[in-house]
Amino acid sequence: MKTVLVVDDSRIMRNIVKNTFSELKIPCQFIEASNGKEALQQLESQSVHLVLLDWNMPELSGIDFLKQVRAMDQHKNMPIIMVTSESAKYNVIEALKNGATDYIIKPVNEKIFVEKLSKITL
Amino acid sequence: MEQYIKPFIDVCVNVFKEFIGTELKVGRPYFAESSSVNEWDISAVIGLTGEARGAVVVSMKKELAMKLTDSLTGSKHDKLDADVIDAIGEIVNIIAGNAKKGLEETFRLVISLPTIVEGKEHSIKWPNSQARIMCIPFDIFEGDTFSLSVAIESVKGV
Repeated sequence: MKTVLVVDDSRIMRNIVKNTFSELKIPCQFIEASNGKEALQQLESQSVHLVLLDWNMPELSGIDFLKQVRAMDQHKNMPIIMVTSESAKYNVIEALKNGATDYIIKPVNEKIFVEKLSKITL
Repeated sequence: MEQYIKPFIDVCVNVFKEFIGTELKVGRPYFAESSSVNEWDISAVIGLTGEARGAVVVSMKKELAMKLTDSLTGSKHDKLDADVIDAIGEIVNIIAGNAKKGLEETFRLVISLPTIVEGKEHSIKWPNSQARIMCIPFDIFEGDTFSLSVAIESVKGV
């Protein structure tokens, strides 16, 4: 069973992301974090196969979480997909430069998830 | 100022279609006073910084806020609880974040986390006195309305 970490400060958004992802029928369990700091703690305590990561969050933003995680040898290759409303090209470039595996702009939909997930190996 | 508003209107229409699954009817935009008291019960505010400064505000009656939350959660809400605050904050976040795409050739913007203001006939004090505030009324569902207000001014070269 794969573990997907959903990181978003909005509980409603975490549920929408989980529900959309569930439609893909990929066997997995979800764990959640409401900011980057909590997400780092989740990574310390268990094995995670995919992170779906919001950008704008209190405590530690998605982009700062990404930078910290990519600096850790054990997480260099873990798939991290940004799922954010930040739509500007300069944001997408910044995330990809800092090691994001892919980038999804909210609102999320199943079609986009399928397209993005088909490119990664869980 | 007016040229910066169109991305917000287009994004708002798209976001409600994609996120809530409903069509909007766009009303006639107008300029508002900087601290005018409005008729709404709840407003979600996002600050804009970077190469421009200003704010984006979505305001509505509590009945509409609860209805939108019902759509997003699939469960019924009868008061302005944490879910409603979460939902309205996420809506303004998605509008502001998506509008950055339409403005990327003009400004590099940074958006704040959303803040929610609640209270009957509350007023919003706008951060910059120079920028004019453009309000765009929208009709939604059967007879509900909400307002999108945007104030934005360039700080490039300042």
